[in-house]
Amino acid sequence: MGEYAIEVSQLGKRFVLGTRGLHRGLHQVYENAVRRTVGRLKNGPQQDGDTARVLWALRNVDLKIRHGEIVGLIGHNGAGKSVLLKILSRITWPTEGYALVEGKVGSMLEVGAGFHPEFTGRENLFLVGATLGMELSEIRAKFDNIVAFAEVEGMLDTPVKRYSSGMYVRLAFSVAAHLDANIMLFDEVIAVGDVNFREKCLQRIKEMSAEGRTVIFVSHNLETLRELCPRTIVMNHGHIQHDGPTNEILEKYQHPG
Amino acid sequence: MKFDSNHLVTQRIEPHTGWMPLNLHEVYEYRRLLAIFVWRDVKARYKQTLAGVTWVIIQPLITMVVFTVFFGHWLGISSGDVPFPVFAFCGLVPWTYFVHSLTVASHSVVGQQSVISKAYFPRLLLPLASVLGGLVDLFTSMLVLIPLMLYYGFVPGPQILALPLLVLLAALTALGVGLWLAAINVRFRDVNHAMPFITQLWLFSTPVAYPISVVPQAWRPLYELNPMVAVVEGFRWALTGETELPLRMVLISGGVALVILVAGLYWFRREEIMFSDVV
Repeated sequence: MGEYAIEVSQLGKRFVLGTRGLHRGLHQVYENAVRRTVGRLKNGPQQDGDTARVLWALRNVDLKIRHGEIVGLIGHNGAGKSVLLKILSRITWPTEGYALVEGKVGSMLEVGAGFHPEFTGRENLFLVGATLGMELSEIRAKFDNIVAFAEVEGMLDTPVKRYSSGMYVRLAFSVAAHLDANIMLFDEVIAVGDVNFREKCLQRIKEMSAEGRTVIFVSHNLETLRELCPRTIVMNHGHIQHDGPTNEILEKYQHPG
Repeated sequence: MKFDSNHLVTQRIEPHTGWMPLNLHEVYEYRRLLAIFVWRDVKARYKQTLAGVTWVIIQPLITMVVFTVFFGHWLGISSGDVPFPVFAFCGLVPWTYFVHSLTVASHSVVGQQSVISKAYFPRLLLPLASVLGGLVDLFTSMLVLIPLMLYYGFVPGPQILALPLLVLLAALTALGVGLWLAAINVRFRDVNHAMPFITQLWLFSTPVAYPISVVPQAWRPLYELNPMVAVVEGFRWALTGETELPLRMVLISGGVALVILVAGLYWFRREEIMFSDVV
């Protein structure tokens, strides 16, 4: 095993916006062509690159995380936290640089990921478990534990569209929490649950670290970070701004300057 | 330590552009997830309405009646030695499967944004699940076809064993074209609007409502490039035994379908990278 569970080098992710946006209809292609031609006639030849608006969601990101670390990830909305986690989960791909990931990644990026509203809790448990990478035998073996952790015993045969938002989160988190992955990524998913559930989740995440798993945990709750994560990374506009012991980081964050 | 460090595999995640390897072995790795997707689609379709099951039967049945009245009686198109209802239904069974699978496949990526943005799996699973899920409907409509044939006095002969191969040809065609449409749909959502138009044109280009003898000889080479022509003619031969085995057409169609499929696989894989960014 290498020293690092996650190693990121000069990672960059670029999105193209505006007139070059992809999911338009054919009519948009004509409009753009006409607009460009008229523009050139009026203003002379231009670089094509000028007409495209580009957003670098991540740029020059370097990061090393050892096996077994719990790392907090904070930053304003749009700082690039979710994009980073998505790249590490192979849901989206970088434009530059690379990431090395040692082992299997389990992610919980959004609540209710992959739930089908018409299906029961039981059916969705299998559906989401399989989508996140569990084998059917694994799901069957862990079924009771997942249900017990989520505290949804009585509701298993009800369609999830009838579940409260709390139940939704509990079931979703419970499935993710039982993944057999050595790297776990959580993107602001605990906020929806109540206090008891949050405590359970934090406890479970601490257990994960004791098991030798690597965890990246996104949260806006600074107290949770202080309690859970010895190390915190602060992101800002696609770059890593700070990376160090949580106490020091929170000092800077709360008392800038 | 719970995790045995010696068995950890390192993945390198880096930019991808251009033509990608097909990685079909990965589809095999994720075969259980594929089964789950098929199960999900089939169950959702049959769970929501009681008519879900009957719709699978009613749609081709009513179409058969309409064809028999309009084309068989009013237009007086001859269906040879086969009664028009049987003639029509034999064509409608594989046709309905093809159209349904194709339509669902074309929407399979765009409509699955929730799953694509949350988990990693080869996206090929999505159109593949559509084509496989359609087989359940095909089977159900066959259950109606057999009594219908028996009613008209047609007992299937040994040619019926060719049916699975013909179904395979239809499935490969649906998958091949479905891959193209699914990928194009992500860039241009027009595909959703174009589907009824595409399927309607395709229906007219396939001998479902009329016998192939209607098509002039000069047009036949072009006409036979449509793999569904061979499928429909093959179905009629396999079930009724009243026509000749369209071997040449089947071979040509197999070739056409394979070309579309392989090209579609490469195109889909090339476009796959940006699905989660755009969908």
